[in-house]
Amino acid sequence: MDVSYPGAVAPLRQRFVVSLGLRLNVVEWGDPGGEPLLLMHGFYDHARSFDTFAPLLAQRYRVLALDSRGHGDSDWPEAYTWHTDVLDVVNVLRELGRPAHLVGHSRGGGLATDAALLFPAGVRRLVSMDGFGPPPAGWEAEGMRRYQGTVPELLAAFFDWRRTNVSRRSFRPSPSLDELAARRRQQNPRLSQEWLRYFAERGARAIEGGYVWKVDPYAARGFGPWRPEWIAPAWRGLTMPMLALWGDQPDAWGLPDPWRSERLAHVPVLETAPIAEAGHFIHIEKPAETAALVLDFLGRA
Amino acid sequence: MKRIASGRGEVALHELRAGAGPTLLALHALGGSARDFAALAAHWPGRVLALDFAGHGASAWTRGGSYTPELHAACADDALLEAGDAYLVGAGLGAYVALLLAGTRAPRVPAALLLPGRGLEGGGPAPRFERPLELDLLLATEATTRPAFDPMLRACETDPRPPDYARHFADAARRLLFAEDGGPRAPWWEAARDAATSEAAPGDPLAALSRLLP
Repeated sequence: MDVSYPGAVAPLRQRFVVSLGLRLNVVEWGDPGGEPLLLMHGFYDHARSFDTFAPLLAQRYRVLALDSRGHGDSDWPEAYTWHTDVLDVVNVLRELGRPAHLVGHSRGGGLATDAALLFPAGVRRLVSMDGFGPPPAGWEAEGMRRYQGTVPELLAAFFDWRRTNVSRRSFRPSPSLDELAARRRQQNPRLSQEWLRYFAERGARAIEGGYVWKVDPYAARGFGPWRPEWIAPAWRGLTMPMLALWGDQPDAWGLPDPWRSERLAHVPVLETAPIAEAGHFIHIEKPAETAALVLDFLGRA
Repeated sequence: MKRIASGRGEVALHELRAGAGPTLLALHALGGSARDFAALAAHWPGRVLALDFAGHGASAWTRGGSYTPELHAACADDALLEAGDAYLVGAGLGAYVALLLAGTRAPRVPAALLLPGRGLEGGGPAPRFERPLELDLLLATEATTRPAFDPMLRACETDPRPPDYARHFADAARRLLFAEDGGPRAPWWEAARDAATSEAAPGDPLAALSRLLP
């Protein structure tokens, strides 16, 4: 590891938890005897995306971060479904042996919320950082790809894609980590090159021709009749308080209003706070402000 | 039996009957296997191939435990590539998979017969929000005695199957036969059976099979 980043602290401990036959990578900060708090990263991120955020929470908690299947240093499955990803979170909570606070960002916030519904005995309080699901069908942020075709044509495209791409081990490599970080910055322009270079060093591997993300190119890809309007009604079943956080700046990866408010209206016990001058990655853009809100909320458990 | 590549693994494809006539590809019910079609195969005038879905029979369990009808349909699509053009017969979960495949690969599937069986209904038209089953699933996968099929397959009994989604595949298919025995049917079945390309067939599987060829 050669580059550092202000405030970033590497985890103190690393181990694997086995879930449904896969070896999942778990890293930890803080006192190993402390009250547990599990962090869940977003799509195409990894556990080390919490290197600046986790140390702020570790002053009070034993902070764990899981690499989702197919991401970071966790195993790749043969296929992906949402509910097996949720069951992985449940398995990590079960392995802890005592209830934990659960904090997730983006897709990790959605997984955390569903894990809290499925295994309420294992979750004390829940924090979702802009993890409120994608917008309704037919609405895409500017620059997002829209798939064209009838439903059977789209399933045929999935079959064809699976047949030709599922054995692929990586995307096209970037010649250097600097370039890999710069490519990521086109997707997430609010994040600094300096941060992304730090993040890339921990989330990439070297192959012939340069560097690629460790993430499985097949990650989270699948096909089914799932609909965004199915997300939020389930949240009525949440039995613990939830803190919902988001950045107040527009960001293609976040869920804006009115959908955010409509969905959060289903949560029985809810606190909310916007983070000023931040986009989708509040824990990276504003770690101190975000951690202060999370610590306040969890401290009232 | 032949192992064919499918996704990151392989699935077992059995030839139940050799023959020069039209090919029939058989797709078993949840918890079943290719052998379930042994009796039916004797009554088909051509070649009969039958798949063991992932997690069943001679096919390996999917590493990581992810199963959906669409992933089973992707395996069946790999079997169809091996079979060439083929008529389909499916029971239970296999009937739903046959519908998906008949709509997706209409040029290569002249007709499909849907029979009742385990996994036919799925979880209804939309998700249900009480989900204790999935914790039982985790415990079942950790049991020391290995069951006959992967417990994670029970996800294919709780997955939502909206009628309008099923109907898209029925509308795209060339010809679908729905075996009716007077028993209740899932909303997806009724929506698909109402398509212009669909017709009701006798509840007796042999009698229904005899209607599959033109």
